Amino acid sequence: LTRYLARRLAFAAVLVATVSSASFVLARIAPGDYVTGSLGAHASSEVIARERARLGLDKPLAVQYRDWAAAALRLDFGRSMLYDRPVADLIPERAVNTAILALAALLFATAVGIPLGIVTGTRRGGVLPGLIRAASIVLLSMPPLLTSLTLVFVAARTGWLPIAGMRSAGGAADSAVLDLARHLIVPALAIGLPLAATLERLQAQAMRDTIGQPFVLAAWARGLPRSRVVWRGALKAALRPVAAMYGLMIGTLLSGSFAVEVITAWPGLGSLMLQALRARDIYLVAGCAGAGALFLALGTMVSDVGLAMVDPRAGDRGAHAEARA
Amino acid sequence: MRAPRTASATCTLVLALALAGCRAAPRPSDSSGATPPAVSRGGELLVSVRSEPISFNRHAARDSTTHLVMTLTQARLVRVNQATQALEPMLAESWTTSDDGRRVDVKLREGVTFSDGVPFTARDVVFAFDAAYDAKTASVLSDTIMAGSKPLKVEATGEHSVAITFPAPFAPGLRILDALPIYPRHKLEAALKAGTFRQAWGLSTPPGELAGLGPFVVSAYQPGQRLVFTRNPHYFDKAPDGTPLPYLDRLVVDVIPDQSAELLRLESGQLDMMTSEISPDAYAPLKRAADEGRVKLVDVGVSRNADGLWFNLKPGVFAADPRGAWLQRDELRQAISMAVDRQVFADTVFLGAGVPIYSAETPKNKAWYWTGTPQTPHDPAAARQLLATIGLTDRDGNGTLEDAAGRPAQFTLMTQKGRPNLERGVAVIREELKKIGLTVDVVTLDSSQVVQRFLGAQYDAVYYNATKTDLDPGTNQDFWLSSGSAHPWNVEQKTPATAWERQIDELMVRQIASRDDAERKRLYDEVQKVFCDHLPIVFFVAPRVYAASSARVLNVTPSDVRPQLLWRPETVAVVH
Repeated sequence: LTRYLARRLAFAAVLVATVSSASFVLARIAPGDYVTGSLGAHASSEVIARERARLGLDKPLAVQYRDWAAAALRLDFGRSMLYDRPVADLIPERAVNTAILALAALLFATAVGIPLGIVTGTRRGGVLPGLIRAASIVLLSMPPLLTSLTLVFVAARTGWLPIAGMRSAGGAADSAVLDLARHLIVPALAIGLPLAATLERLQAQAMRDTIGQPFVLAAWARGLPRSRVVWRGALKAALRPVAAMYGLMIGTLLSGSFAVEVITAWPGLGSLMLQALRARDIYLVAGCAGAGALFLALGTMVSDVGLAMVDPRAGDRGAHAEARA
Repeated sequence: MRAPRTASATCTLVLALALAGCRAAPRPSDSSGATPPAVSRGGELLVSVRSEPISFNRHAARDSTTHLVMTLTQARLVRVNQATQALEPMLAESWTTSDDGRRVDVKLREGVTFSDGVPFTARDVVFAFDAAYDAKTASVLSDTIMAGSKPLKVEATGEHSVAITFPAPFAPGLRILDALPIYPRHKLEAALKAGTFRQAWGLSTPPGELAGLGPFVVSAYQPGQRLVFTRNPHYFDKAPDGTPLPYLDRLVVDVIPDQSAELLRLESGQLDMMTSEISPDAYAPLKRAADEGRVKLVDVGVSRNADGLWFNLKPGVFAADPRGAWLQRDELRQAISMAVDRQVFADTVFLGAGVPIYSAETPKNKAWYWTGTPQTPHDPAAARQLLATIGLTDRDGNGTLEDAAGRPAQFTLMTQKGRPNLERGVAVIREELKKIGLTVDVVTLDSSQVVQRFLGAQYDAVYYNATKTDLDPGTNQDFWLSSGSAHPWNVEQKTPATAWERQIDELMVRQIASRDDAERKRLYDEVQKVFCDHLPIVFFVAPRVYAASSARVLNVTPSDVRPQLLWRPETVAVVH
């Protein structure tokens, strides 16, 4: 298992290096740069040339990449041109904000999606399963942008919740945690509702497949109570495909959601990446992309470990495969 | 052409708002028709910006949020009153101009201190000019405070007096100093000496290290979220009744990248003011909210700025391109001006909130607008005839024009993506020109790509903004002079490339030097006439500008340029 984990970590390192390098190169070779974007059309060519030299943008791509990669090995990912701060300082700040949002959305999605999936997966007919299915399909078909806007609109018209930001400007009315929680509701729902719908659909399908398995049929035949068969027997087996999806979900969530973070002005990794791309801040683009890749790799690894806990055979297969390799 | 996400978001929002029709309860402070509440000291104003500042140092960046930070935290010697266009004193208490107009003796306010308590003296003024003109600093403001492309000479003549000498008679005079913040010498002199002034006061600077003479000080900066400004206890100015300014205790600037969210926050009372213009899409829901007393919506009038289309007029740039025979001809631009229906343009791009224009000045500039500006009629047939004179006719009868060799009359029009007005504008231009047989390939790019291609002369045509900061043409030399960095169709020419550009140069030099207002007007009319004869930029429509604030905001005077409601921040107040 240790070797398996080591290989997964090595894979994560390669993934991060590849993604951040590719982002760096692509952002660098695209026409335009930070200097022309920030100085605008009225800057003289002399000023532009001087600023490019100061920021090292006048160097050939290979030289610039070599310098950046060498520094990155020492965990120095360069200095953001936009914020005039080290990228290594900026990303953790924003990643924490994204992680808070991701965790809240995931908790909500799990608490709502899994139980509803069990309900729809174990009942063939009825009004309630039909309503749940319809709601899930609607939520899945709505792009995150529209979900966010709808929620923001409702929050604005009712005045119940803050529409944007992570904390109140004054912050005096509530405690810091309550204030954060109030600001969290709209963006967490914007991300969590489609996720809950995804989990509901996955869980329902898994439950339907599991309920037809011989061991469940045998339990029914033995006359065990329905709740015991469903919640103890079938659920554990049906969690496998759902758990397999968790890793990807976590990784994606931790990479930040452009649409939701921009609309709700949540200062996370997604909005930072967007700003970096708009400003053509190549060091920050590479840093954000690398962080996203790292989260995706770690999320997948967590998912595999989780899957192994739900289904030990999966872990054994992985470990044995590694051992054979 | 694909609409950007923000644009579609705005459309969705506007549709939702329009369909909703539900009314939020008026806030207690709403008092439509009642006597406005008295202005009093205290309270907090919540403002939004779309993006964070690039720097706390105005010399390093020209984005609107950096400019807002400067407006809030720094003072200038003088300020252009955006309501009256008159020059009003700030740190300069009074000034006298020599008979030849070249030397201005300025008496500075005494007893003024920076926000950190250090006294303000004439040495700070000299330092401000040194920083702006320093070659290593390469300040973005340096062009703005030049007179005829030459720097001003400034010397301290006393502890609280300076003499400013212009290199030649310069009609706008101190007006150009509206752009120059007086930063604290005691904080920044070391950086200037070290050649690192431009990098000083970046966003990583702790707010406690910043100081200024403006009405507010930066008290907190939360990256990606907000800037918090608090009252500068040392601010020098007072209200007419003697009340120390600013009125506000605190001003919070939230970063809200999406206009839909901005508008919803404004409507729901979670925001007091937006610093960006109200888009045409947002006008209807905001008007409804204004009618319900939830927001104040102000029609600021026609903008002084408009987007325009220009071709790459750099000589020789199309030498290897057969289209060079017609792409740089005056007739092409004149035909385009005739082919585009400006009313259709106004209705489509600005939803009717715009007025047709035909030259570089809009009717907003009452003092300098040439009333003889020819109103080019919408006449596609005449446009086709004009194009025929430069060899572009429909030779194969397929409805599109070809040159003498049968090659299609086609060019690429570049603009910035993510800006609905520009994107809608190029769509209208493409459709209108298609009707006369010209084929336009639209390319939308990031702003940095547009600027790079434009500065590198790697484009056929561009539709972009040609922004002027002040209404006095003498302050816009970088636009008019052929050597100017903002002379868009052919930047930074060593010598004028065309006879008419040489003529404009000569007229502008005389216009800037004259101290006779009537003569200046006559000369500038001539400049506009030459401009209209050759149309280096084709303008179509100037938008109307609207500004919005919450109902509790008091004492604002709107301007058509950013920051529209905060150009005089010390006098803004709120009901609290």
